[in-house]
Amino acid sequence: MSTGTNRQPASPAIPAGPLTEKVSVRNLKFYYGNNLALKSIDLPLYDRIVTAFIGPSGCGKSTLLRVLNRMYDLYPGQHAEGEVLIDGRNVLGPDQDVNALRAKVGMVFQKPTPFPMSIYDNIAFGVRLYEKLGKSEMDERVESSLRRAALWNEVKDKLNASGQSLSGGQQQRLCIARTVAVKPEVILFDEPCSALDPISTSKVEELIDELRADYTIAIVTHNMQQAARVSQFTAFMYLGELVEFAETAKIFTAPSDKRTQDYITGRFG
Amino acid sequence: MSLYAARKRSNRIAMGLCTVAAVFGIVWLVLILAVLVWEGVSGLSWRVFTEITPSMGSTTGGLLNAIVGSLMMVFFAVLIGTPLGLLAGTYMAEYGRYEKLTHVVRFINDILLSAPSIVIGLFIYEILVAPFGGFSGWAGSAALAVIVIPVVVRTTEDMLLLVPGQLREAAAALGLPRSVIIKQVAYKAALAGIVTGILLAVARISGETAPLLFTALSNNFFSTSMTQPIASLPVVIYNFTKTPDENMQQLAWTGALLITFAVLVMSIIARALSTRMKK
Amino acid sequence: MVDVAIKNAAHGRDEAENRLRVLERFRRGDKFFFHLTRSAAFLVLVLLFAIVASLTYGAWPALSHFGFDFLISQSWNANTEQFGALATIYGTLVTSLIAMLIAVPVGIGIAIFLTELCPAVLRRPIGIAVELLAGIPSIIYGIWGFFVFAPVLQQTLQPFLISLFAPVPVLNALFAGPPYGLGILTAGLILAIMVLPFIASVSRDVFETVPAVMKEAAYGLGCTTWEVVRNVVIPHTRAGLVGGVMLALGRALGETMAVTFVIGNARQISASILQPGTTISATIALEYAEASEGLYRSSLVALGLILFVISFIVLAVARLMLARLNKQEA
Repeated sequence: MSTGTNRQPASPAIPAGPLTEKVSVRNLKFYYGNNLALKSIDLPLYDRIVTAFIGPSGCGKSTLLRVLNRMYDLYPGQHAEGEVLIDGRNVLGPDQDVNALRAKVGMVFQKPTPFPMSIYDNIAFGVRLYEKLGKSEMDERVESSLRRAALWNEVKDKLNASGQSLSGGQQQRLCIARTVAVKPEVILFDEPCSALDPISTSKVEELIDELRADYTIAIVTHNMQQAARVSQFTAFMYLGELVEFAETAKIFTAPSDKRTQDYITGRFG
Repeated sequence: MSLYAARKRSNRIAMGLCTVAAVFGIVWLVLILAVLVWEGVSGLSWRVFTEITPSMGSTTGGLLNAIVGSLMMVFFAVLIGTPLGLLAGTYMAEYGRYEKLTHVVRFINDILLSAPSIVIGLFIYEILVAPFGGFSGWAGSAALAVIVIPVVVRTTEDMLLLVPGQLREAAAALGLPRSVIIKQVAYKAALAGIVTGILLAVARISGETAPLLFTALSNNFFSTSMTQPIASLPVVIYNFTKTPDENMQQLAWTGALLITFAVLVMSIIARALSTRMKK
Repeated sequence: MVDVAIKNAAHGRDEAENRLRVLERFRRGDKFFFHLTRSAAFLVLVLLFAIVASLTYGAWPALSHFGFDFLISQSWNANTEQFGALATIYGTLVTSLIAMLIAVPVGIGIAIFLTELCPAVLRRPIGIAVELLAGIPSIIYGIWGFFVFAPVLQQTLQPFLISLFAPVPVLNALFAGPPYGLGILTAGLILAIMVLPFIASVSRDVFETVPAVMKEAAYGLGCTTWEVVRNVVIPHTRAGLVGGVMLALGRALGETMAVTFVIGNARQISASILQPGTTISATIALEYAEASEGLYRSSLVALGLILFVISFIVLAVARLMLARLNKQEA
């Protein structure tokens, strides 16, 4: 088996010094109606570190992500038990303002979801609601966000065009720019490349690599090479359980659980 | 082999009957439209749009007061009915999608959608005309608004349900509150569909006669006062058809042509919009 | 250096305060909009209750005065203030029945033609035309019926029917002359033409819910088109078809304008469907504005209440049937 795992690309280095826990998941259970979808998850997300979530479809990795920004609140019959601490504060509590939480924990989805408005407004829209910026400040914010998402050069001449007129890869970067613009601290990527072609995929991966310097990042992916390329820590989930959480290099070279090894060597999933 | 032949024969008979049905049905409908155009066009002239309704025995006159009255009542009916229908449809698709209330409202709304319009006239008579001193344009508009509401509720709900949930999630993920997501993302995405609903509602009420008969009544003179009885195209057509006066009958045909033309144009635009929406 | 640090701290505090204010505004806005939309949804329910309540209130003097007799009495006399609904109920039901007898088979035939037989090029235009025709205001059918259709019937179909059935017992009463042109049969035919495009387009929509694979499977067994329609398409869509037909029936029952012109307006029940009659809606339309206060007007409102109850039941059944089809689809 070692031949298979050795070919994995090198994952980014973990910075020296102690890591701070930005997000701590404690004994988290999640229910769809009466269905237990997450079975007592404990896990940290470190500050300015990329954590990847891998596992077969339906293992609960996307569900876990959607708990972190309480996206499940939009739907009745779904509820979480346990704690998710962000900066030491439990965000699952009833006193947590979900809008404030979501502004702090951004999310990028599987399918690009530009709003039905111009490229400029796609980005300014969220910012405008939270901050009162002058025209020039807003222009700056839009530009810097688009630059951050490596999209500026491609769209700077057509900021008034509809966001939906862009290509799939551009749309996804627009969504990243939009997320960055509201200045979150944590960004969740839910299979951000599964609808993209290889070139767009590598652009998004590069982007995640750069964003790592400023944000705490969690990424759900089906693509194990991708997990290995972009993340420093990896969590392997299976049937709603967190099977193994460790440094990415360790998961891919010396997993301690048999199921992890089977998964990353392609025996199932 | 004979069984096969029998099967083939019954197939030919049944399919032949269906084709005959189609031809038969379409012939009638074409016939009605043809007569309408034939009779209506022959009375079409400028005076229809510039002169008010004639009295018995006159050879001049037009439909100006009726056209203006219809436009005013339809306008106010839409103005009153659309926001209410829009909000109710919004609740059903956005906040209350899984609530019991939504199921009940949807059921009741569907019944209101095809409730006999004359009964709506009676209803408005009881609550507006009788207690507030008489027939008026407002009463007519109110009756039409009661017809607008269920149409708009239905299309708003349907069209908002077509808006992908991912778009809402994406907006929520930016920390936007529900009301902003609905007003600035969902409405925008469903805009074409919602406009379709309003157009369909306008098309529906432009030809409504029964609910106006004893709410707005009619008026032989030019009036834009919504507190007075006011003329409308359908009611004038109704009244003129019953007279033996040929000039008036001619105007009834012409008015009918105008209404049909307007309704068809609105339905066609609505159709085009909704096809675009579903893409 | 120190100065800058203080400035930043102050800036940070401002930003935090601003954010709290924004979040508070969001909470208030959300709450307001939620309650606003919810009230509007309730308004739809209130509307129905208000209609029933106001009609009941208006009908009460007549209903309490005549009691159950109101439903079974034929008399309708404004001078003696004797009112009964039977003739109008009869006219309403019979005209709608005639309309359904004609429009249902023809409408479904059109739908079968459109989904199974029609050349692909014509399918869309004819389909669209049928849909557009379903939206034409009913008063158009009314004046056409009055000016064009009724005189033609008087000259052709009615004399033909009278002479055709004259020797046949029972039927000769049903088609007894003289040919007036206006009457129950004419109203039923006009209603049939009016609901025809509606039935055709609803049935077509319903037929299109049949999965293509299901039809292909039947064709694969060697079924003829008619056998596929009869054994696959219609059984699969029965609930929806019945729902669509009931909706059309609801329309026909409550229709005013297409009927008022051509029914002849005689408050009587005659054995012959060639004779004039009346319907609930036609009676209300013709008499309400001129009716005197008191029992007369109240009786007309009572008619309206009866009409509303009948169509409510029909439409409710229709919706339940259509809901069943939707569930099946899901």
